[in-house]
Amino acid sequence: MNIIIVGSGKVGFFLAEQLVKENHDITIIDLYDETLQKAYDNLDIMTIKGNGVSPDVLSEAGAATADVVIAATSEDEVNMVCCLTAKKLGAKYTIARIRNPEYNESLLEIKQNLKIDVVINPESAAAGEIARLLRFPAAADIETFCRGKVELMGFVLQEGDFLIDKPLFDLPPQVKKLQLLFCVADRNGDVCIPKGSFVPKAGDKLYIIGQPSGLDKFFRLLGRYTPKIKKVFLVGGGKISKYLIELLRNMNVRLKVVDTDEEKCREISTLFPDIMTIHGDGSDHQLLEEENLKLYDAFVALTGRDEDNLIISLYAMQQGVPKTITKCNKQNYIGIARSMGLDSVISAKAVTASHILHLVRGLQNSQGSVMNSLHRIAGGEAEAMEFKVDASTRNIGISLKDLRLKKNVLLAVIVRGRSIIIPEGSTTIEVDDNVIIISQSGMITEFNDIFDDTYVAGGGVN
Amino acid sequence: MNFKVVFKIVGRVLTMEGIVMLLPMLVAIYYGEDVWPFIIASTVVTIAGMNLACINASKDFYIREGFFTVALIWIATGVIGALPFYYSNLFPSFVDCLFEACSGFTTTGATILTDIEALPKGLLFWRSFTHWLGGMGVLVLATALIPTIGIRTKYLTQAESPGPVFSKLVPKQAQTSKILYGIYCALTLLEVICLKLAGMPWYDSFIHAFGTAGTGGFSNMNASVGAYNSMAIDMIISVFILLFSVNFAIHFLLLTRRFKDVIQSDELKFFLVVVVAATALICVDIRHLYPDWTQTFRFAFFHVCSIISTTGFSTTDWLFWPYFAQMVLIILMFCGACAGSTGGGMKCSRILIMFRVIRREIHSIIHPRSVEVVKLDGKVVEEKTVRSILTFIGCYMMIILFVTLIVTIDNLSFGESFSAALTCVSNVGPGIGIFGPAGNFSSLSSLSKLVLSFTMIIGRLEIFPILLLFSPSAWHRS
Repeated sequence: MNIIIVGSGKVGFFLAEQLVKENHDITIIDLYDETLQKAYDNLDIMTIKGNGVSPDVLSEAGAATADVVIAATSEDEVNMVCCLTAKKLGAKYTIARIRNPEYNESLLEIKQNLKIDVVINPESAAAGEIARLLRFPAAADIETFCRGKVELMGFVLQEGDFLIDKPLFDLPPQVKKLQLLFCVADRNGDVCIPKGSFVPKAGDKLYIIGQPSGLDKFFRLLGRYTPKIKKVFLVGGGKISKYLIELLRNMNVRLKVVDTDEEKCREISTLFPDIMTIHGDGSDHQLLEEENLKLYDAFVALTGRDEDNLIISLYAMQQGVPKTITKCNKQNYIGIARSMGLDSVISAKAVTASHILHLVRGLQNSQGSVMNSLHRIAGGEAEAMEFKVDASTRNIGISLKDLRLKKNVLLAVIVRGRSIIIPEGSTTIEVDDNVIIISQSGMITEFNDIFDDTYVAGGGVN
Repeated sequence: MNFKVVFKIVGRVLTMEGIVMLLPMLVAIYYGEDVWPFIIASTVVTIAGMNLACINASKDFYIREGFFTVALIWIATGVIGALPFYYSNLFPSFVDCLFEACSGFTTTGATILTDIEALPKGLLFWRSFTHWLGGMGVLVLATALIPTIGIRTKYLTQAESPGPVFSKLVPKQAQTSKILYGIYCALTLLEVICLKLAGMPWYDSFIHAFGTAGTGGFSNMNASVGAYNSMAIDMIISVFILLFSVNFAIHFLLLTRRFKDVIQSDELKFFLVVVVAATALICVDIRHLYPDWTQTFRFAFFHVCSIISTTGFSTTDWLFWPYFAQMVLIILMFCGACAGSTGGGMKCSRILIMFRVIRREIHSIIHPRSVEVVKLDGKVVEEKTVRSILTFIGCYMMIILFVTLIVTIDNLSFGESFSAALTCVSNVGPGIGIFGPAGNFSSLSSLSKLVLSFTMIIGRLEIFPILLLFSPSAWHRS
């Protein structure tokens, strides 16, 4: 597909990188040579220097024949106008990044009037993810499917966990009856879909999928059950913080927010008068101690600098705060963070990227089963996707043992009505099922893509 | 420098060239000639290439590796291009073969052959086919055919494509290369058909179409295009030369009906103005030599096109023209064709930007505090680009001087030595004196031939990839 990305900042670049991997034709528009040059040197794309609002620049980029225009500059207003202009020129689908919380209320009208097809708000999405993690602190990552019926959680194995050094088929019976599936394993960046013979080791990050209640019991068995989080310490008063405060207030969580900028503190205190707001340097240990960091259940670092976030999260962890969540946009820091024991690292960029990839793949297959959601897990090395099975799906009613799936693809969960099924050899796929697929190979755009067509069922080798 | 990946890519391109060598072999079979030179050369090259292509290399590939690879590939290409000539035993020495092959691939068209018509047709086909391959570039072809060659193929084509700034036509490099070769093949075929209709035999039409497409200038006739003495053929070749010496992006814009962008191209306007002005000046100067204005225009226009595009075909020995007309042609040799075309020389866009920089410099003397940007096609030219253009022009002049110095060891006149250096670095072909349109380079010493061969590659790759080879830090392992 022809995709135009306006703005080659962090999100723009990351998106371009992902979309190029999926073999799309990308053109990036930006005002500044430096960022354009970087994108041009590193990716197989075309770049155009200019203002993405200008019709001339957009038509030079081929907006008239573009399938998708993504406006991801730092300014909301520019993004809006950009989408409007692109649509006028003939672009089929427009996506705008709108981050300012003040636009949030009138978002629907903005979308309608400016002909924006999708609005993405990375900060709000990141806040949602943080809130989910705070609701279930045992997990390092949580993704939900089928409106919460199924959850996928990632957690890091520690020394002494009963899973360690035993192959997966040898699990204790009380775990086996929980109806859970270990779907992805990440050992220092080597990601695989584990087989029964996989032997987990300390430090591995495992992803487990199943019903929320089953997962709850599993983490209790693992001894990771932490009581509900009631008090959260927040450093940084940016956009994510505002969205997060909004969400956490509804969860009856007590909050303390620290920011270096007095203006921001005032703003937060005006918006949320019931929250303790502190003006000070969140990276100053003395201040953190004065504010009784140790007594909090969770610590969230959301300052503008990745480095500060990592260091203060480490400090909080050292001080014995049970759960730390760190915002980190630089991809290459995430590995370092994990090796230091920070397992919940959030990147607004990555959240946005998986959202847009999901949209683009959805646009790519106009026919066929609909992809309901897409989540990228294990540092983007694997994807979890939810599909709705309809009449166009092949192999309906054939038991799974007679089907051959593509390499590195796992049919993880089938949701049929109210029941959650972990597939076995005799399971069949039926119309109206919701299925969750784990894939490592990337290019799955519709459900039929998971079948290996070179294999003929029951025919053996021919 | 990641040498392994460099050699791996060199290997892949060599394999491709080895296979391509089988095409002239088919011609040789058709005419019942000796096919062994091609079979031996192709086997040697393909096996060497395949061995190199099997190297296990990491994927670290940056701009320095790109430039380095391109430089090595072009030097290797010159050597392997010489193999069929060498195995035919029809050339005096290997240095001569090398000169002829470099001249072919770099689309120079200078020859050391005294009697071209005596050579077998298969060999002449290979000689002209090297023009066609070298014109658009072996690496552009490689990126079109072998998309898996690496992640950053852009660096390869960037180093090979002529012009100050490199831009893609469509987002994907492989796709861009395919479009370029598509246009290139289509125009070549069109020319073959036109020449055939104008009365040339099929074989000759192909040879001259290759010579025109690559803006090379090898002919299968001793008297070049003049041998046909046909107004129609002269005009067809002139027009196609112009088509091949404008930026291929212009053809792409025309195909996609973006006429507004075509009209905006400063370089195209400049190029056409130079062609018209030079033709007019020469017409006036040589009017007394020809019976009527039509004939005068025919010869003036043909040679202006032939020289500015750095092709080097000739229909008459223009050394008999007055010196003014000759000097106009010599100036055109400096200027060269448009960026992004198959032609050589300094390129019109560089000259144009240089003029604008000069104007800005004069303004800044009058108004010392003025701030002014240099523009091309209505867009600002980066200061970095301006600097690299000025450096390029400086290097160009110094290389011409240095090569002239080496050639004078053979004790030739200043004019002859200088024109030899200029014609080689600009990839034109003919010079003045003994190197004129009717002459050749056979009388030079081996040293001069080697230096000039190398100069042609320097000119074709626009200096910097080759200069990189002389930088010690480029040879450090990383």
